[in-house]
Amino acid sequence: MNPPIPLLEIRELYVNYGGIQALQNINLTVNAGEVVTLIGANGAGKSTTLRAISRLINPRSGQIVYQGRDITRRPPHEVVRLGIAHSPEGRRVLARQTVLDNLELGAYTRSNSAEVKADLDRQFEIFPRLAERRLQLAGTLSGGEQQMLALARALMSRPKLLLLDEPSLGLAPAIVREIFSIIRDLRATGVTILLVEQNAKLALESGDRGYVLEAGRITLTGQAANLLNDDQVRKAYLG
Amino acid sequence: MNGFLSTYGFLIVSMVMGALLGLSLYLPLMTGQLSLASPGFYALGGYIAAILSTQVFKVSDGLYPIGLVLLEMSIAGVVSGVLGVLVGIPALRLRGIYLAIATIAFVEVLRVLSLNLDITGGAVGIFGIPQPFLTPIEYLWIAIPLLLVTMVLLYRLERIRLGRAFTAIREDELAAGAMGIDPTHYKVLAFTLGAILAGVVGAVSAHFLNTWNARQGTFDASIVYLTSVLIGGTRTFVGPVLGGMVFTALPEVLRAIADTAGLPLWLAQFLRDGRLIIFGVLIVLGTIFFPQGLVTPDLFKRQKNRKSHS
Repeated sequence: MNPPIPLLEIRELYVNYGGIQALQNINLTVNAGEVVTLIGANGAGKSTTLRAISRLINPRSGQIVYQGRDITRRPPHEVVRLGIAHSPEGRRVLARQTVLDNLELGAYTRSNSAEVKADLDRQFEIFPRLAERRLQLAGTLSGGEQQMLALARALMSRPKLLLLDEPSLGLAPAIVREIFSIIRDLRATGVTILLVEQNAKLALESGDRGYVLEAGRITLTGQAANLLNDDQVRKAYLG
Repeated sequence: MNGFLSTYGFLIVSMVMGALLGLSLYLPLMTGQLSLASPGFYALGGYIAAILSTQVFKVSDGLYPIGLVLLEMSIAGVVSGVLGVLVGIPALRLRGIYLAIATIAFVEVLRVLSLNLDITGGAVGIFGIPQPFLTPIEYLWIAIPLLLVTMVLLYRLERIRLGRAFTAIREDELAAGAMGIDPTHYKVLAFTLGAILAGVVGAVSAHFLNTWNARQGTFDASIVYLTSVLIGGTRTFVGPVLGGMVFTALPEVLRAIADTAGLPLWLAQFLRDGRLIIFGVLIVLGTIFFPQGLVTPDLFKRQKNRKSHS
């Protein structure tokens, strides 16, 4: 068997916020087709890792390599064009714009309007609730619908790598299950996903591999199933 | 009619110019940038036209050719645009109130420069700027097409990709970045478009006012145009157009009220000279009661719905 092809490789990444070291010596790989989960407590550096990849923040040192090319110093819009979509924490939908506008903005970097239209229809198939509300202002959607919109918007850039930050944040359990079933469906269609999630059990159940972040460092890594049964992880995150 | 035009011609043209300057402030605001730099570019455009028409082109007899005015407007636009990029790139690293302060500083720097340079005529300024028209009202031949073209372009802009990017940045810069929109690029672009417009309007104004000096385009003017945009509306270009017109006319209206007989002297004087205080109060009240301004996109939608229901 061939070794898996790394789609994303992070090498010795350090990120500082002012004087505070947010990330220290992060080494992480995501292979094509995988769902990789980052778990950890609040402030452990999960969101920071995603933001460093999508280039919304500047790392102090280290390397982010995507499809064999160094993107550590590329601007964020170029990273989107290369096929990395970031669905940020807190959803960040544009509240004053319609669902449709939000989705079309998600395809901002793409110019083939026929393809964009096809992808728009696809999102409405995956998320029928968004289709019903396509002309409604995004701010009037429920939390779950906003999360679906954020997810659909990220998919509109036709990403090879999807960075998902806390998709379950503040949502009712039934909606969370719905969102995660969509995430599993996405994985089946070949989208590679790097998932950050507080709900460690759910995240590990939907993922192939996982990394445990503690105070800006990776303390544990392995197959998701093994992490689920790891005593340390069970005690700290699964309760 | 002729009597009306000769009395109010000056005011009517000023109102159109006010609408244009309101739009020049609105452009950076489309990306959420509170810039007060417009009067600076307005002053710059005016000096370019004043210097070119009195010292370079020197048409001595008859009316000044309109073609040359258009040429001056183009040059003013290009110079303002270049300066806009140069100022915009560093200034737009600042946000909100800090950007406002930086742009006020920029306007002040230009004012002090124009007071002290020989080419701008120092404190006296430049006077005897040649006239392309016989009466003030005829300036509408330039001002109205300029306003219409700007409004059509903005109407289009609010509906194409570029306008969507502007709005996305205004609403959530981080989200816009995550969608692959380069906020810095579009912020500088919007700022520069506003600068170009202000510079072009300044070039027309220099001819219109006949003299140009360091009192044009000062901090006072920034506040007046800020009022017109904030009260008029920041969500659609119609707001600044109406606001610019109303707030250019307002001092004249106040003056007329002050002239009515029987008013106490202090009140009459306040109405004449307290313009900035009145504008300040209107900004405060406006932001409390009409946070999006008087003209909002919803207003149009409601109108449309009403029509379609009836």
